[in-house]
Amino acid sequence: MKAIIIGSGLGGLLSAARLSKEGYEVEIFERLPIVGGRFTNIPYKGFHLSTGALHMIPHGPAGPLAQLLEYVDADVEIVRRKPIAVIRVPRKKGDTDYKYGHKDLLFENFRVPFSLWNRIKLMYYVISTRKKPPTGQSFEQWCRDHIPQDWTYRISDAFFGWSLSLKAADVPVEEAFEIIENLYRFGGPGIPIGGCKGITDALVDVIRSRGGTIHTSSEVTALKMDNGKVSGVIVNEEEHDADIVLSDIGHPATADLIDEKADIEGMDDYIRKTDKIKPSAGIKICLSSDKPLIGHGGVLLTPYAKRVNGINEVTNIDPNLAPEGKHLTMAHQCVHWNDIDDIEKEIDLGLEDLKDIFAGKEYEVLLIQSYSNGWPVNRSPSGADLRNRTPVPNLYIVGDGAKGKGGIEVEGIALGVKNCIQDILNL
Amino acid sequence: MKVNEKCVGCGQCIAFCKYEAIEVRGKAIFNSACIACKACIPYCPVKAIEA
Ligand SMILES: Cc1cc2nc3c(=O)[nH]c(=O)nc-3n(C[C@H](O)[C@H](O)[C@H](O)COP(=O)(O)OP(=O)(O)OC[C@H]3O[C@@H](n4cnc5c(N)ncnc54)[C@H](O)[C@@H]3O)c2cc1C
Ligand code: SF4
Ligand code: SF4
Repeated sequence: MKAIIIGSGLGGLLSAARLSKEGYEVEIFERLPIVGGRFTNIPYKGFHLSTGALHMIPHGPAGPLAQLLEYVDADVEIVRRKPIAVIRVPRKKGDTDYKYGHKDLLFENFRVPFSLWNRIKLMYYVISTRKKPPTGQSFEQWCRDHIPQDWTYRISDAFFGWSLSLKAADVPVEEAFEIIENLYRFGGPGIPIGGCKGITDALVDVIRSRGGTIHTSSEVTALKMDNGKVSGVIVNEEEHDADIVLSDIGHPATADLIDEKADIEGMDDYIRKTDKIKPSAGIKICLSSDKPLIGHGGVLLTPYAKRVNGINEVTNIDPNLAPEGKHLTMAHQCVHWNDIDDIEKEIDLGLEDLKDIFAGKEYEVLLIQSYSNGWPVNRSPSGADLRNRTPVPNLYIVGDGAKGKGGIEVEGIALGVKNCIQDILNL
Repeated sequence: MKVNEKCVGCGQCIAFCKYEAIEVRGKAIFNSACIACKACIPYCPVKAIEA
């Protein structure tokens, strides 16, 4: 059996590695001259910045991605070290920003700022929602109905802004509780040694060692259709045949590759659904410093910042991601869809936040990277992902446009790939 | 060189320009160091760079 994969992002590479383990012949076509999509390193002034991700694996060495990497025999190391997350709050109770100093709380103690009554309610909800997860509203609305307190909204916006690049008001409550459940199940984040590229390079090695091929600078411009099924892809006007095709470029872009004249059942409905998908947007600000700004390898959540949701300093785990004697710190902020056209203002607010958060510390802004629309944080906002299937029976979608339930970012990609391959192998 | 409306400001092109000719803040702009060698074009993930 021959599988062609469109795109060499993490979703494409994981799928290729997984299928080659089942004996499939795999061939990947990648449009860019580099492999890895939004999950590889780019060299800049001696630092290993990234094409997208913050060099962070949401559930570290124990999550769905780590499990899948182990299953396909990828040689990677993901390090999780305490503290895994710290929350920065104003020093004085009642302050609503960091201007007059701050203190840091361990994530485990996130309940401390709640009122006594809300802490009691929270203990009850921790148990009751696990038995019967709530449905049919946003996480923010659920919070307003159940634990109405400024702190609830701040910590949930910081957490989901950091982990999904969404506001709590845009996260379906079902997805939010599945994510919380997964945090209990798999634990918090870790940093891959070598950064994002440490993972994607290891997958490339696996694929090549099993005889798979990866072509860069090779854009797929159309799908070859035959009787309602896909029979191959067109690259540089040449046809390449396959039994199945997996696409790592999301539902809408994949639908665009299908000839409008091909008569496929359910296509109109599919196009209507894909048109509704709103990719999540965000801004990453990369900082360089001589002395550590954070001092540990976990996440610093910043619920009292105007825009920045969280920050990490990856060089505390892998010093090789920066030149000797330097630290690499990356701040992430969600950009709401309404603000995408005003991205420069959002960047200014993020930079102001960093001045307050790191008051008195010296750092240099290395690069400001923003992501939206065609090159987003996630092709599908979490909780709204369509499944792997398309109306074409042997054409599947993988990657962050078809994440598995409750999977934060690349964990969702791994869950989606796992679901997809199971579906393919059961055929 | 110029960028079209598809540019999202991801900064990927910067890493592949040998002449430090690109600056990014929400969108890419080319400064006077640009020699129009076109090396950055294929690295843009959204085809935003035009000669
Ligand atoms: C600022 C930011 C921070 C993030 N932080 C994290 C984090 O810390 N942890 C985390 O887990 N996730 C994070 N993410 C999310 C994560 O980076 C992405 O979800 C993931 O990299 C997407 O992988 P993918 O395989 O779905 O898609 P992509 O990486 O986009 O891969 C798709 C590939 O297909 C190629 N392609 C497109 N069209 C064609 C075509 N027609 N023919 C051939 N090839 C084509 C593209 O060039 C690309 O290489 C972050 C993302 C951003 C932007
Ligand atoms: S055309 Fe050449 S010099 Fe100009 S920005 Fe692109 S890579 Fe740099
Ligand atoms: S790589 Fe393309 S989208 Fe990214 S900043 Fe450069 S021109 Fe803009």
